[in-house]
Amino acid sequence: MYGEDDDAFDAAVREFLAGGVARGERLLCVGERVIESLDGGIAPLGDTDALIADGALSTLTLAEAYEATGTFTPEAQFAFYDEATRTAIADGYRGLRVVADVGGLAVDPGTRDVLIRWEHLADEYMAQGSGMSAMCTYHRGIPQAALAAATSVHPLVHAPEAPPPFQVFFDDDRVALVGSVDTFGADRLARVLASSPVSGDRAVLDLGRLEFVDVAGSRVIAHWAQDLDRRSLPLEVRGASPLLRRMWQVLGLGDVAAVRFAA
Amino acid sequence: MTAVLQEPVPGFEHEALFYRSDEDFLDGLLPFVREGLEQDETVVAALPRNRLELLRDALGDDASAVDLRDMAEVGRNPAAIIAVWDRLLREQTAAGRRLRGVGEPAFVGRREAEFAECRLHELLLNTAFDGGPSWRLLCPYDEVHLPRAVVRGALHTHPLAGTTAGRRTSPDYSPGEVAELFGAELPRPTDAVLRGIYGAADVPATRRTVAQYARTIGLPEEKVEVLALAASELATNSVRHGGGTGTVAMWATPGAAIVEFSDSGQVDDPLTGRRMPTLEQEGGRGVYLVNQLCDLVQLRSADRGTTIRVTTWR
Repeated sequence: MYGEDDDAFDAAVREFLAGGVARGERLLCVGERVIESLDGGIAPLGDTDALIADGALSTLTLAEAYEATGTFTPEAQFAFYDEATRTAIADGYRGLRVVADVGGLAVDPGTRDVLIRWEHLADEYMAQGSGMSAMCTYHRGIPQAALAAATSVHPLVHAPEAPPPFQVFFDDDRVALVGSVDTFGADRLARVLASSPVSGDRAVLDLGRLEFVDVAGSRVIAHWAQDLDRRSLPLEVRGASPLLRRMWQVLGLGDVAAVRFAA
Repeated sequence: MTAVLQEPVPGFEHEALFYRSDEDFLDGLLPFVREGLEQDETVVAALPRNRLELLRDALGDDASAVDLRDMAEVGRNPAAIIAVWDRLLREQTAAGRRLRGVGEPAFVGRREAEFAECRLHELLLNTAFDGGPSWRLLCPYDEVHLPRAVVRGALHTHPLAGTTAGRRTSPDYSPGEVAELFGAELPRPTDAVLRGIYGAADVPATRRTVAQYARTIGLPEEKVEVLALAASELATNSVRHGGGTGTVAMWATPGAAIVEFSDSGQVDDPLTGRRMPTLEQEGGRGVYLVNQLCDLVQLRSADRGTTIRVTTWR
């Protein structure tokens, strides 16, 4: 989520994209606000014009991306991204990394439900190791109901009919984990955390609204801390419950990587 | 490094000490503790509080050299005790020191279900430490005040047994009883039981159901959360390793809330959940965590299936 003129948003987008460049992925930016992020500054992404000239980065306005083929349907979206991912891999890239501003679709009641269905589909597609990864952005200004509905699929659920067990929000300089994480969602959490944009000199994970986490979920957090540590980024965990901290100690997770627990 | 030992101890020496009075207790214990200190060993004594005080007073200035722990805490759940000794042994072995322990898990005043777990625990100590680094563990038993079956049981679980009059090998020592005790059925509940079946999609529902039950019978929120976590881990084990489904049973007695998980899988290693898993080891953490967090955990497994009974005192 982002607000007006949010430097943190620009930084998060560029960070996410730079991760794709480092992995040899083709980049695709969808939506005007996302495209603007590319103008704000270069680091750590490198020369965006050169990337565009090389075919390593392309941009689409929302209209171009979602409306060009007529109505917005999950099937059309799927076909579009599947084709784009396959082309990227055929062109020698390791995959396709997408940043899409979909907030406008969430506002429109006509497209909101379709958007949610599409995002379920997209998540399954990404989870299957298709080579595509994506960060979807929502503007803070959109109505709460629309936001709740749309964000409930981030990072998405197992079955479309079930309530989402957990959600991850990338917000300013922190990552917030909300809901319940158990063994069956642990792999998904690992993927979301691995692709979460972290910049600056440390990472912050906010667990203040986490209702439940089991051993597998705790280990995912510890291993994320380990990955961050290898990038010299210390992890600060905020709002952890006394039980999580006890579990951390009992399982010796502090030996995986040092984590600073804060209120 | 420590001085060369005059009389090297071969392997793990696990000895029961039967005492009939406070004086008897000290007569048996003090020479054992003092010998350890003289040989520059790390001496750890886990005893019920009244025994700790007795030993501390008798040791005088030497008390500060002994690591004294409250057995009612470290051994609240007997299935959590082996992890304590295991950790101490690894630490001391790594530091080049020998470990000497005193442990009284079966102390006067414990409940029947706890004594049953103490017996299995005492027997599994041999399984866990035989063949490993050399160390000694002395286990005091109050011959006068403990139930007779508990005292007799100690002769079955300790290869060595002694009184202040001397020590000898125990003729009743029966390491083979592990399979029998670990495979035994737990006593059936006599109170009304709520029962439910769970499958792969029901782990969150199982967790919430157990939490709701725990709240309904008035457990404090902290214990409710622990039970929800235990439910999640144990139901997950059934789904992953226990045939895909399981049964949860819940009942209350005047003194306890019991939540029990059963499935058709079989746990081959009776030490499952009793030692801290290594950092990269896959699995084995759920039962370990439950052992560490809950009041009493009873794991039983045979070819008919596996049952884990979690008791919370109230």
